[in-house]
Amino acid sequence: MGDQVGRSRPRFDLPGRVRGLVSHVGDQPVGTAAHVALHRSTAPHARIGEVHVDEALAMPGVYAVVTGLDLYKQLGDRILTGPAFADQPGLAHEKVRYVGEPVAAVLAADLKTARAAADAVWVDYEELPPVYDLRDALDGDAYVHDELRPSSVFGDLKHLRGVRDTNVNYEYNLRHGDAAAARDAGAATVTGEFWAPPTHHVPIELPCTIAWVDAGRLEMLTTTQTPSYVRQTVSDLLDLPLSRVRITTKPLGGSFGAKMYDRLEPLAAALAWTTGRTVRLVASREESFLLTTRHGAGVTSSMTADADGNLVSAIADVRYDTGAYADVGPRITAKSGMVASGPYRIANASVRSRCVYTNKPSAGPFRGFGVPQVTWSHESLIDELAHRLGADPVEFRRRHLLREGDEAPMGTTMHSADFVGCLDAVANAIGWDQPIERGDGRVKRGRGVAVGVKAVLTPTIANAVLQMNQDASATLLISTVDMGQGSDTIMAQIAADVLCLDSARIHVVRADTDATPYDTITAGSRSTYHTGNAVRKVAEAMRTKLIGFAAQHFGADDVTLDADGLHHGDAHVTIPELIHGHFGARGATVTAEANYTTEWVPYDKETGRSEKATEHWFAGAVGVQLTVDTATGRVHLEHLAVAGDVGKAINPKLVEQQLSGAAIMGIGHALFDQLVLDQGQVINGTLLDYQLPSIKDLPDKLTPIIVESPHATGPFGAKGVGETGILGIAPAIANAVRDALGVRITTLPLTPESIVAALERSDPWTLEEK
Amino acid sequence: MAQLHRPGSLDEAVELLSGLDNAMVYGGGTAIQILIKQGILFADHFVDLATVPGLREVTADDRGVTVGPMVSIRRMETAAPPLAADAYRHVANPRVRNTASVGGNLAHGDYRLDPPTALLVLDAVVLATSAGGTREIPVREFFTDFQETALEPGELVSGVRIPNQDASAGYHFEKNSSLGENDWPCASAAVLLDDRTVHIGLGAVAPVPVYVTADIAGLDDQGAVDAAIAAVEPVLDPIPDVRGGAEYKRRLARVTVEDAVRRAWKDRDHG
Repeated sequence: MGDQVGRSRPRFDLPGRVRGLVSHVGDQPVGTAAHVALHRSTAPHARIGEVHVDEALAMPGVYAVVTGLDLYKQLGDRILTGPAFADQPGLAHEKVRYVGEPVAAVLAADLKTARAAADAVWVDYEELPPVYDLRDALDGDAYVHDELRPSSVFGDLKHLRGVRDTNVNYEYNLRHGDAAAARDAGAATVTGEFWAPPTHHVPIELPCTIAWVDAGRLEMLTTTQTPSYVRQTVSDLLDLPLSRVRITTKPLGGSFGAKMYDRLEPLAAALAWTTGRTVRLVASREESFLLTTRHGAGVTSSMTADADGNLVSAIADVRYDTGAYADVGPRITAKSGMVASGPYRIANASVRSRCVYTNKPSAGPFRGFGVPQVTWSHESLIDELAHRLGADPVEFRRRHLLREGDEAPMGTTMHSADFVGCLDAVANAIGWDQPIERGDGRVKRGRGVAVGVKAVLTPTIANAVLQMNQDASATLLISTVDMGQGSDTIMAQIAADVLCLDSARIHVVRADTDATPYDTITAGSRSTYHTGNAVRKVAEAMRTKLIGFAAQHFGADDVTLDADGLHHGDAHVTIPELIHGHFGARGATVTAEANYTTEWVPYDKETGRSEKATEHWFAGAVGVQLTVDTATGRVHLEHLAVAGDVGKAINPKLVEQQLSGAAIMGIGHALFDQLVLDQGQVINGTLLDYQLPSIKDLPDKLTPIIVESPHATGPFGAKGVGETGILGIAPAIANAVRDALGVRITTLPLTPESIVAALERSDPWTLEEK
Repeated sequence: MAQLHRPGSLDEAVELLSGLDNAMVYGGGTAIQILIKQGILFADHFVDLATVPGLREVTADDRGVTVGPMVSIRRMETAAPPLAADAYRHVANPRVRNTASVGGNLAHGDYRLDPPTALLVLDAVVLATSAGGTREIPVREFFTDFQETALEPGELVSGVRIPNQDASAGYHFEKNSSLGENDWPCASAAVLLDDRTVHIGLGAVAPVPVYVTADIAGLDDQGAVDAAIAAVEPVLDPIPDVRGGAEYKRRLARVTVEDAVRRAWKDRDHG
């Protein structure tokens, strides 16, 4: 083995990203393309009447105006796509389901003309009763979709086909023991109504898709985390074999879930295919707010302890507002629902988790995949329960946290999930055991912690192809998309370590479905483990090949590989000599391939439990010390420590950056970041109004902590880390506010206004006491 | 699409402004570019002052400083009297301050801007030039209504004269946001305080920047705070929005005024 894993080598693209030398999709020259602008719905829920396009068509420079009906006539129901439900049309053709939904596409010589022409389109609407929020959706009798349309991607949704008169497109239920009876028999119960609002990802790079037809093939260059998925979607949409669809990417300028599944790509493919033109779609910053959001989620929940302080019951009713289209909401609903009781030993647990349509922009994947919303609930509850019992919040959690080998309430066993290690690390970092200067008068100080648990997406598939070049450099073909997380760097480190090379000699080919093999998605923190394992295996296969060549070369089986090359006893041959000798050519290549696939056991239909719901777990913890100005309500973060169990850090610097980056994003969600909607209309969808953390909002001190509890089957024991850091940020901050002020706030974000309001409530408790 | 004009003199600029249909002055462009991008600015002509000579001058005399409209906000951090310098220093971020202009900042007329609060307190005078000549508008009469100023059609801001600040007075500029720290202010206050009077310029808490005074002769610091808060109370008229409801904004305005008065008090006594 080499020495490449565990080193903080700089990511190879660092200078290019900082200096703007890395080119992105939007930088690509497109020649005489048709630039596309979209006419968007002004109604939240309406039947589409006539779409008036004549005025737009008459404008100089306009090539075509395509309506949803035009596409429907050519593609039929294939126009409806989506990862869980085939419910989202590239252009609306019968109904519009949210304000801002694309109704017509204008193709023009330049973007300015296209946008002006899109403004000249007008539409006759027959308004339908709108479903603005979860309450309308669950209690009312207006339905966003006439019937449910599960896609073919997930077999377990088949039974929902054709279900009518509901806005609930998916429901996950967990039944472990008798949680209601245990609650009633318990000694202390806390109950809460929690709300986490919708948010937007706001990656720096805007989504952009360029699509064209080349020799009867649909080709596309697009900002996507999911090239393999997009290839399948376009293949289905256009009824083409996969071999006639090519999806390519460039490095993404951030994404966080904003650029996956069906964003601009199905529409771009349909427009390029039906018009024969090269089309370029780019979302403006304002439009990008409409493309996808994090799910707003309501959680009604309780946690109960018996007289000895044992956790005996956890109950949660979780509602994810998935907006007009399901996207991957049903998956989020199940994956997050199953951990809604938290990373604790709890004898009885009951969870009902629902995915609910409303007339709002569609919600989809977002760093954390729905788990931060349930973590907001369970980490507030257990904190409050500790206070009620007079217990120390760290001690109380430590007592109940799941350990190695424990079975979680949802039925899967814990391995490589060191919750206790993470909690102890952050508590120690913020000086939990040290006396705290509380502050007198206006400014109060407090500390809080939170623990998070999340399952990795399972089952998934990863493939890798490796070409060893004759000069002992290598070319790695994978479909993982580097969007700033540094995947290209760590994949090179993994392959290099196995082959005893310098990782800088390994080039990772960016995803191109004509060349790079299938990979489920670059998301859900899955790549380090899954693609990393495929890369480890392909490098091992390459090592075996090289050793085989060397055995022929030496005429002996006993061959070893190290940084100097291949050895048999005292005999030695370098890799360049070996490959040159084997093929008789300079520049020759040796190719190996490998696959890594994970399996799961589907949830039991009755109990929602599974002995293997996930390949592995993410464990993280957050500790915060903060002050609150009671006059303004403003929170100031003095120290935030964030720990994640990554199994083994392939590149410690990149792990720390993921933990810190996730923490900063989480600080926004905790304190001010939210998408505000009024009657279905986004009212802060510009960077003038939308709030993101700036350098001034960072804690005085931010401490990322790597915890390493090796995973038995991870590459070098490693697991991913992209989401671990964000899970507990909001509850840790709220718990520290509770510690400072004695008030418990259950609605995010914790704006100064909400903190002042909580201070002024006559009854400061929103969590009910038994 | 709007047409850009680049006059070579102030006379040419005001002629263009009065002669063209639906024309607008283009200063640093930091506000205009945002409004254009958002599709809510519909000017047909922009009269760019960047190439007009003499508009970037700062002239100091024993009464104060006279500043050209194209002087950058950044330069005002050192060129303006201390209270105004503090307010200019709090505008947006260095990149914006290097581009945005003193004249544009005033003409924009937004109720949340930082510099007007200090200019109100210091009793600055806006020079407004049109084809008919130049007139002086006291800045205390300049902000007339929500996003409206006393500038007439065909007029542009050709300078601002800021009187010297009483060196024995205490002063402080205080700015509070309610969401991200770097966001627009939710309440801001520029305060100048001598032995007899506290002068207060308020931003973001009414449809226009507002100026009020209170008599503090013979009062202690708490008395001055109480007098200041009593004086601002009647003019508080905040616009509820995503940054807070009217009640919270009133509260934050009071806290902001209190903090600014207390710091100005300390500054006067120890400055």
